[in-house]
Amino acid sequence: MKLLDKLLCVLVLSVGAVVSPVQAAEALRLDSAPVRLDNASLQNGAKLFVNYCLNCHGASFLRYNRLTQIGLTEEQIKDNLMFSADKVGEQMKVALRREDAKQWFGVAPPDLTLVARARASESGTGADWLYTYLRGFYRDDTRPTGWNNVVFPNVGMPHALWSLQGEQEARFVTKDDGHGKQVRQLEKLEITKPGLLMPEEYDAQVADLVSFIVWMGEPAQATRRGLGWLVLAALSVLAVLTYLLKRAYWKDVH
Amino acid sequence: MSQMDTLLDKGKQALGWVDERFPLTSLYKAHLSEYYAPKNFNFWYFFGSLALLVLVNQIVTGIFLVMHYKPDAALNAAGVPVAFASVEYIMRDVPGGWIIRYLHSTGASAFFIVVYLHMFRGLLYGSYRKPRELVWLFGIAIFLCLMGEAFFGYLLPWGQMSGWGAQVIVNLFAAIPVIGPDLSIFIRGDFVVSDATLNRFFAFHVIAIPLVLLGLVTAHLIALHEVGSNNPDGVEIKKKKDTNGIPLDGIPFHPYYTVKDGFVAVVFLMVFSVVVFFAPEGGGYFLEYNNFVPYDALQTPPHIAPVWYFTPFYSILRATTSNFMWVLGALALIVGGLTVVSTKSKNVKALAVGVTAILLAGFALLDAKVWGVVLMGGSVMLFGLLPWLDQSPVKSVRYKGVLYASVLSVFVVAFVLLGILGTKAPGYAFFGLIPGEPVAAVCSVLYLAFFAFMPWYSRMDATKPEPERVTWK
Amino acid sequence: MSNDKLEVSGGASFSCNCADSSRRQLMAATAAVGGAVGVGVAAPFVASFLPSERAKAAGAPVEVDLSGLQPGEMKTVEWRGKPVWIVRRTPEMLESLKKSEAMLADPGSSRAEQPDYVKGAGRAIKDEYLVCVGLCTHLGCSPSAKFKPGAESGIGDDWPGGFLCPCHGSRFDLAGRVFKSMPAPDNLPIPPHTYVSDTRLIIGEDTKGA
Repeated sequence: MKLLDKLLCVLVLSVGAVVSPVQAAEALRLDSAPVRLDNASLQNGAKLFVNYCLNCHGASFLRYNRLTQIGLTEEQIKDNLMFSADKVGEQMKVALRREDAKQWFGVAPPDLTLVARARASESGTGADWLYTYLRGFYRDDTRPTGWNNVVFPNVGMPHALWSLQGEQEARFVTKDDGHGKQVRQLEKLEITKPGLLMPEEYDAQVADLVSFIVWMGEPAQATRRGLGWLVLAALSVLAVLTYLLKRAYWKDVH
Repeated sequence: MSQMDTLLDKGKQALGWVDERFPLTSLYKAHLSEYYAPKNFNFWYFFGSLALLVLVNQIVTGIFLVMHYKPDAALNAAGVPVAFASVEYIMRDVPGGWIIRYLHSTGASAFFIVVYLHMFRGLLYGSYRKPRELVWLFGIAIFLCLMGEAFFGYLLPWGQMSGWGAQVIVNLFAAIPVIGPDLSIFIRGDFVVSDATLNRFFAFHVIAIPLVLLGLVTAHLIALHEVGSNNPDGVEIKKKKDTNGIPLDGIPFHPYYTVKDGFVAVVFLMVFSVVVFFAPEGGGYFLEYNNFVPYDALQTPPHIAPVWYFTPFYSILRATTSNFMWVLGALALIVGGLTVVSTKSKNVKALAVGVTAILLAGFALLDAKVWGVVLMGGSVMLFGLLPWLDQSPVKSVRYKGVLYASVLSVFVVAFVLLGILGTKAPGYAFFGLIPGEPVAAVCSVLYLAFFAFMPWYSRMDATKPEPERVTWK
Repeated sequence: MSNDKLEVSGGASFSCNCADSSRRQLMAATAAVGGAVGVGVAAPFVASFLPSERAKAAGAPVEVDLSGLQPGEMKTVEWRGKPVWIVRRTPEMLESLKKSEAMLADPGSSRAEQPDYVKGAGRAIKDEYLVCVGLCTHLGCSPSAKFKPGAESGIGDDWPGGFLCPCHGSRFDLAGRVFKSMPAPDNLPIPPHTYVSDTRLIIGEDTKGA
């Protein structure tokens, strides 16, 4: 009898476990982002973000003084990172007016505070998406901005980091998808005009920028994990005690 | 020592004073220290108290969230809806806010996990059988409230999944013939999901449904303590009592089950904390990724699915296509025919013929969309019929035959598969090979058949005799 | 709990004296650790009542331009949601502070809430400018300016000029010091402030080096 109870229990748990990781064929392969949440990377990322992103995109949930959490002083923040705000307690709002932006780009550039969380999918984390996206711009004369992107086809945004990366060209091949259909697939991206940085240097800079965006999506994440260990430790002690207590009472039940 | 005694005396006097005016001691005895629960509860019996624990968590965290949340769809200076921004305000600017919010969002999913397992326990050991029909019905009402609570609450963060999820579910009501389109406008209070919708959903989520829920939970417990708990053997412990009138197989709920459930609660909290502190998004199932984008009424996200706990029912909705109506017709004919053949009562025969005819006419005349909505709602309601569908002479799966064990297993597999398919986009195939749609259709039929044929298979089953006393250790 | 008789199934009843002490120790340990965990759980909820980052940002220092302020005039600015007065005192007004001295409850401002760098009867960094929080120390009303001395004020012949609280009649002199036997117990608080130039003042930031 008992065996049956256990079998049903195993059944319930295993059906979920076996079937759920199965994914549909991915449309896109994302590069894994080397996210580093140390102060040096985050500070460099913050500098890149303020210089290259904040002109058009807001980070309207993040207050400048939150950057003290990544090892900057309020003076450093004021002197080096605040271009469009007066007070260090203000949020990173964008100088660009939404209406103007909509006119220029077709869509108002989205707020980026939560983009790393929003871009997560079955294909990878939000960081992977951003890392691939920021390295995936290529020249396309058919687009109004002259740029296109491998992970975000027909994106409205031009390549904001082109001076660093240079210009890329995309090579596509047409392949059979195994079901008799011909599909256009990206073969590779090639640098045709070098930028200020070598490709490895550029990747490292993008990694820092992405790390900062990940941090910005949830500034409490490091605290959260740290606190988690403490909570689990306290609960473990309580679990042992309550188990002993339960045993002390139940030894009389025959 | 004498001081201690006078203190104890004073305490007893105070208690006596209260007892003359309010039945404190007798309530404590009736529900805790002299409520005799069967001593053979196993793993499956933890989920009731855990559900209570999660309910308390939701209420307490909910109260604190309401202090900072603003149900307002207007755009703030940065162009973000105020409601969405207020959630991020809680996550960033309110001290301790992120913990409270994660406790609440994780609690929502935990509630459904715990309640589904609690309901499965009922199916295993026949907890819905006489005399516990009302316990079971109150439970079903709680489950319905919980679904409403989850649905209304999901709109509040005002993200893309919030807005579009509400849009889709409210539009289900538009499928109802004649009044449908007006009804869906009435529910929204606008032609689209808007500020008016957000405000009324907020009112339902924070006060209306919680009040009903608390009342139902009380009724569920009072009814349970009136008839006494079932147990894995499905035998009534009240049938065998000692000279003091205490069930021989019963032990006082307090302290025995309070200490046991206390330990289990701590273990549960550890698992819960792992999610809250290390994976609050629950892999995109507890907090959906697209809900980190504010609701945009002009752009639906590419893949929209309900939160995981609704997906089994949502799959049944999706499976109900016009082709599926033939299957439903066949099912209605078979069940109607079986009823006519197996009953002697003329009235029941006439009723069966009538209901089958109405159903068949309905299947032919009304849109499959309407039936999808009916089936989705009905698939939840069917649980409420279990006390009368189950005709087995025994309650517990331990003494039911292989037939019920197999049918129950098939039901569970079908339920889980429906749940998985409901999270996937249409056109999904298992391993890229087995297309999802026919699997969903087959599972929907199996789901319905579990209930529809229960009166027959529960009688056919080769049962074993129940023991006199509970089996233990 | 201690002399409970626990009735256990099978008619076996027993008193739990044998197990009592170990159970009680366990119970105490569990209650202690459980209580500690409970306090930990309560912490974020209690913390959520504290001012948020938004409230703190709104309470950031305020910069005031004094160039337009004429002698004898007063200006009110908002700092942390409270009125802060800036009074440009004339020599006569400063003179009046000496006159009022004898009538004050705390002329030396020994109990008053004020930064260390604010000294003397004038209670100011520069005697010409009084900077103080315009909320009565009684129950928080904002007193009215009654700068005109003597009978003309309608307060009394010996009124040296100052502030009168409309709620319960507390009187303050032109340095925000409270008069004797008034409902208000203390002098008006002086907020932290600093001058960045002769005519530019920051309220909410301490003078450096102080």
